[in-house]
Amino acid sequence: MSGAVGEARREVRFPISEAFRFSVESIRKRFTRALITAISIVLGVAFYVGLRTMSDIMIFIYGGSEAARSYQFWMAIISLIVCAVGILNSMLMAVTERTREIGTMKCLGAMDSHILMIFLIESSLIGIIGGVMGAVIGWVTGLLIYVGEHAAILFNPALLGSYALRIGEGVLIAMVLTVGATIYPAYYAASMDPADALRFEL
Amino acid sequence: MRYEYTVETEDLAKYYQMGEVVVKALDGINLRIRRGEYLSIMGPSGSGKTTLFNMIGGLDRPTRGRVYIDEVDISKLDAYELAWLRCRKIGYIFQTFNLIPVLTALENVTLPMIFAGVPREERLRRAIELLTKVGLGDRLHHKPAELSGGQQQRVAIARALANDPVIVLADEPTGNLDLHTGLEIITMLRNLNKEKGVTVFTATHDLKMIDVSDRIVWIRDGKIDRIEKRVDVVVSMEEM
Repeated sequence: MSGAVGEARREVRFPISEAFRFSVESIRKRFTRALITAISIVLGVAFYVGLRTMSDIMIFIYGGSEAARSYQFWMAIISLIVCAVGILNSMLMAVTERTREIGTMKCLGAMDSHILMIFLIESSLIGIIGGVMGAVIGWVTGLLIYVGEHAAILFNPALLGSYALRIGEGVLIAMVLTVGATIYPAYYAASMDPADALRFEL
Repeated sequence: MRYEYTVETEDLAKYYQMGEVVVKALDGINLRIRRGEYLSIMGPSGSGKTTLFNMIGGLDRPTRGRVYIDEVDISKLDAYELAWLRCRKIGYIFQTFNLIPVLTALENVTLPMIFAGVPREERLRRAIELLTKVGLGDRLHHKPAELSGGQQQRVAIARALANDPVIVLADEPTGNLDLHTGLEIITMLRNLNKEKGVTVFTATHDLKMIDVSDRIVWIRDGKIDRIEKRVDVVVSMEEM
């Protein structure tokens, strides 16, 4: 017997393994776009981690007067904002330009949750890769700036802990911002009626 | 179970608020589409064809009235059932093709089968079969941008058929195609209707569609203007 909806539970399925495969394929096929997005994450995080690493080294060498700490604090805030704006902007664009694609997928039977799952996996992957690369690049750059005068103290055990902390912070920031900036527009597009999503123009 | 009517609409209306003005895109459409019928909605642009397509396809919500697909009122469906309906019961064809640009022809056709839970091997086998049937057996791994308009629309037809829908909905399927290619697409839809008994609903202002339609519904300003049967046309031609 075929036909009436509701005689048995009618469900579409999209197992996480399929979602993962789809997301990886999607990144691979839009590699240039993903790369540009990833670069903005890398730059943002590198900027943040680089500045924070340098200020950690400076405070370690020169000690932290009240004024110096305050200055460093504001530098940290500014670097965080620059980093956040870069990531948010590129992720918002990358998802918004796919609104029609989201509408099409809903016509083919995708549910809102499937679409969110795809974008969650995609953005987590890009966030982790971009975040780790950015944090390492930022950290290395921070070290290079001091390596001439202060090479001896750069790997002082007291500094190692704060390096690890900054790199961890950088990766976390990248993950949170990338996923957040992806999920919001993806959710918005997925919850539109497909007719509206298909009509959507940037 | 076979239902006599694949689609029924009951006093279907859709109003849009445009600033101060209420635009009545659809205003009280009562329509029954028989199983296996090839029905075309004709009318000038802005007459409400696409709105009707969206309503019947469950892609937009009506302001008033009801749509039944196989005797199920689609406004009563929850999100799971609605997704299931779009996935399994309806195949969509659009004027702008709406293929996923980063996926190959083969992957575009397999996508609805992923949602339907068809195993991977079976998906590939069926997608290749469908694409071969629409004459694209040698273009399986091309992306939409590497295909002509007519070829893209044929991929879209194969995709629409992936889960054996009871009805194929087409919104201006020939709108972006030249005369010859448009005719090819129309013939393909007609054969599909004849051979597999798939109900076909097209919204169009392409007069070539008249020759293949069982019934033509003319709409104007969101209302049914008149309904013509092709039988009438055929009879009058035989008399000549």
